[in-house]
Amino acid sequence: MQVVAAYLHVIGVAVYLGGAIVMEFVVGPAQKAIPPAQAQVMGKRTADRFLILAWSALGLILASGLLRLWSLNNESVLFGERLWSTEYGRTLLIMVSLWTVLVINGSIITFVLRPKLTGKVSPGLTAAQVQTHQQSQIRAASILSTITRIDLGIAFVVAFLGSALGLGGLERMF
Amino acid sequence: MIDALWKLTHALGWSVHLGGALVMELVWRPAQEGMPQSQIGVACQWMGKRYRWISAFALAAIGVSGLAMLVDVDRSLSLGGAYGRTMLLLVMLWVSLAVVLAVLSSSAHPGLHARIPSGASDEDRQAARALVARAIARMDRLLRLELGLTALAALVGSSLHAGGLW
Repeated sequence: MQVVAAYLHVIGVAVYLGGAIVMEFVVGPAQKAIPPAQAQVMGKRTADRFLILAWSALGLILASGLLRLWSLNNESVLFGERLWSTEYGRTLLIMVSLWTVLVINGSIITFVLRPKLTGKVSPGLTAAQVQTHQQSQIRAASILSTITRIDLGIAFVVAFLGSALGLGGLERMF
Repeated sequence: MIDALWKLTHALGWSVHLGGALVMELVWRPAQEGMPQSQIGVACQWMGKRYRWISAFALAAIGVSGLAMLVDVDRSLSLGGAYGRTMLLLVMLWVSLAVVLAVLSSSAHPGLHARIPSGASDEDRQAARALVARAIARMDRLLRLELGLTALAALVGSSLHAGGLW
């Protein structure tokens, strides 16, 4: 059970963190090498698919994390005073909080920003309305890019905390 | 602190390697459907350049941090024990991944660079396009092999905490 839980946790982290790094530094920049119309199609398809992967990874990280705690007989940390009073518990609490931030950011991207970016201009709009629509899309793209980078940083910190957890907690390291 | 940094480096290395291979298989491959072959070739060239460096860097990070952690390991590395055998398998998988990356970089990726001269005949153009299509297919097979090896290595590595696989 320990091996399965650890493996699933590694897969979840790899998909989220490693996938985000490759999307940001490999797949994204490659769009500049092809014509804009194709780049837009490629960007939409890759982003849509990666969103599904990222959500699956966040779910897998939570489920396998709980399974790991249970397989190590540490599940009581989550529900008792040990969550505040021990280094292990406090580190775990920070990790869960950061995971929640990732979920909130993911929701903003999926339900607010992506629909804005993929929304099409209705045929009957005036030139001014089209311009407003385009400006809102540019703003959405800029916010999405910022949130994606913040998520990457958070995922990096979570990975560090996970490494510290294996050694007993964050405070034990300093 | 240094122990946690080695662990983080090791986890990051595997994450980038496995996550990268999964993105190529589950994100980039399906996204190619409906795109012109020539544009796929150009995008693959561009991505291949960066991907091989990122993969090489990740493999190097895995190797260095793995060795650093191995120094402090308090278990027997004898092949008579499960831990030692599992560790040997992990090292072999790491070497296989390095070989796959070397083939990708030295043979498969350069095969995508076939250029069609401006005065080429239709036959030559078709032949060059067929070459690129074959290079893309070879690249796909190698990327799948890389994904399989990385996923297996992650499983083998995960078992080390519990004392090894067998």
